[in-house]
Amino acid sequence: MLIEMNNVFKTYVLGEVKVPALHAISLNIEDNEYVAIMGPSGSGKSTLMNIMGCLDTPTTGTYYIGRKNVGSLNDNQLSDIRNTKIGFVFQTFNLLPRSTALHNVELPLIYSGMPSFKRKQLAMDVLERVGLKDRMMHKSNELSGGERQRVAIARALANKPSLILADEPTGNLDSKTGEEIIDIMQRLYEQGNTIILVTHEEYIAKQTNRIIRLRDGIIESDA
Amino acid sequence: MIILENIQMALQSLKTNPLRSVLTLTGIAVGIGAVLYVVILGEITQQRINERLESLGSNVLLIRPGYSRIRGVRTAARVINLKLDDAKEIKTASDVITFAVPRYTGQGVAEFKDQNWSTRITGTTPEYETVNNDHPIEGRFFSEDELNSKARVCLLGATVHEELFGNLSPIGESILINSKRFTVIGLLGSKGESWHNPDNQVFIPLTTAQERLYGVDYLTSILAQMRSADDYDESLFDIETILRRNHRLRSDEVNDFRVRRQDLYLSTVRETNLEIANFIIIIALVSLIVGGIGVANVMLVTVTERTREIGIRRAIGAKKFHILTQFLVEAVILGIIGGILGIVGCLGFNYFFTGNGLSIPLNWVGYSFIICSGIGSIAGLYPAIQAANKNVIDALRYE
Repeated sequence: MLIEMNNVFKTYVLGEVKVPALHAISLNIEDNEYVAIMGPSGSGKSTLMNIMGCLDTPTTGTYYIGRKNVGSLNDNQLSDIRNTKIGFVFQTFNLLPRSTALHNVELPLIYSGMPSFKRKQLAMDVLERVGLKDRMMHKSNELSGGERQRVAIARALANKPSLILADEPTGNLDSKTGEEIIDIMQRLYEQGNTIILVTHEEYIAKQTNRIIRLRDGIIESDA
Repeated sequence: MIILENIQMALQSLKTNPLRSVLTLTGIAVGIGAVLYVVILGEITQQRINERLESLGSNVLLIRPGYSRIRGVRTAARVINLKLDDAKEIKTASDVITFAVPRYTGQGVAEFKDQNWSTRITGTTPEYETVNNDHPIEGRFFSEDELNSKARVCLLGATVHEELFGNLSPIGESILINSKRFTVIGLLGSKGESWHNPDNQVFIPLTTAQERLYGVDYLTSILAQMRSADDYDESLFDIETILRRNHRLRSDEVNDFRVRRQDLYLSTVRETNLEIANFIIIIALVSLIVGGIGVANVMLVTVTERTREIGIRRAIGAKKFHILTQFLVEAVILGIIGGILGIVGCLGFNYFFTGNGLSIPLNWVGYSFIICSGIGSIAGLYPAIQAANKNVIDALRYE
C-alpha cells in the first residue's frame, strides 16, 4: 500500500483562533491508482494535498507513505521524500522563470546529488517524453502556459517518483491545452504511475478511476 | 559538486539585477581598496625608513648638549658647552670610537640669482661623508685644507638644489648664504621623505660656519662612530668620562649632554609610522564593514524577493541546508568579486596616479581575499538562515 491515512486531523492555529481544516480523514491508496480529489473551496483539498505531499504534517493521526510514518520524520527526511518519492505539479506551474526548461527539470536531480552529465541526459530524456525536446534550452518565462506545465510534469517525473500530485494542473490553461495536459496524465497512469489529481472540474474527475469528495474537512464519498 | 552549481546560480542571480549588484560590489571594492592602499603606502614608507637605517649603520651615536632626561631633574639647558676639542678628544682618546664628527647647524637663507630658499646650514668636517655614508652624486665633499682655511664652499641637499637650480647642475656656481658668497662644490642625493627632511640642508666647513656665518665657538652635535654596534657600553663610558672631565662637572652634577643611538631615533620614526598606518587601517576597515553591511542588506532583500523560489526548491526536495548554502555562496561571491575589483582598482590607482610603481604585497592580496570571503560569509549568514527557515507552504503562496 502506497498511502495510508488513519484518522488524520489538521487544525491551524491563527493567534487565538483554531481553524479545523481536516477532520478524521482515513483513506488508503494503492500503487498505480488514478485518483481525483474534489470539493468546493474551503473543503480542505489543499490541506489534504499538502499533507499527502509531505509539505505539512497532521496535527493528530498517522500518515504512512511507502510504509514510512511521516509524523516521525525530521525535516531533512521529509525533504528527501519530496525529492525522490513525490512529484508535484502545481496550478501556477512554479518553475524558476529565468532558468531554462532543462535546468528546471534538473533541479530535483541536483538536490539528490546526481552528477552533472548523468542528470543532463536524464532531464533531456524526460523532456522528450513530454514532447519538449526542441524547446529545452528556452527560459521558462519564454514558454507558453501549456509548455510550462509540461516542463513541470517533466520535473515531477525526473526522479522517478512513486506518486504524482497534481493540484488543479489545468487551472491556468485554456480548455484545449488543458486537455493535452490531462492526456499526458492519462498516459502516465497507463505507464504505471500513481496519480492524485485535485480538481473542481467534473469532466476531468470523470477520467480518473476513483473520486474522493471532500466537504468541510471530511470525506463525503470515496469511489 | 553542488558548490559549483551554487556558484553558477550566484553569478546568474547577480546578472539578473546588474545595477543592484554593481552598487553592492562598489561598497566592498572601496573598502578593500582603501585597506590595501594604506597597507601598500605603509610598506613603502617602512621600506624607505629601513633603507635609511641601513645606509646609516647602527653604530653611530648622536651626542647633543643640554640636560639629560634619564638622570633626574632638569637644570638650565646649557647649549654652549660642546666644543671642537670634545670631538677631537673623543676620537683620539677612546679605543672603541673610530670617528667623532662635530656639527654646527643653524638657520640660513640660500640665494641664487632671483631664487631664495630658507634652509638649515650645517657646518661639519670632511669625515661626515664617511660616517654618514653620504656621498655626493655630483662634485665632492670639502677637504681638510678647506676646513683649515675656512673656505667658502658648500654642498647642496636635494631640496635646496631643486629650489634654487631646478634641473641645472650647481657645481661651480656661486650662491649667497646669509648674504655671504659661497661656491657650490657638491650635490647630495635625495634621502626620500622623512619628517626631519634631510634633503633641506646645505653643508659647509665647520670652521666657516662657526667663524664666518654665526660667530660661535660651540657645536650643536657630535656624531660618534663606534667600532662596532657591540661597543655601545664602552663607547658611552668613554664619552661620558671625557665630556664630564672637559666640562668640569662635579660628581653630583648630572651630564650636560645627551647621547643617543642614531638608529634608535629612526626606530622611533619607524614605530610612529607603524602606529599611524595601523590607525588608518582601522579606519579603512570601518569602511569595509560598511560594505559588508551593504551586502547583508542586499541579501535580505534578495531572500524576500525570492521567497516563492525558495518554496519551489524546498517543495521539490531541497533541504534547509541546500537553501542556506545557496544564499551564503551568493553573499561570498559578492564579497570576492568586490574584493577583486577593489584590489585591481587599488593597484591601478597606485600605478597610474601616485607613480609608486607596481609593488604588490602578495601576502596582503591573499589576506584581502580572505577578508572579503569572511565579510561575505558573515554578512550573508543571517539572510541565508532566514531563507532556509522559511515555511514552505507560505513561501509557495507568496506573491
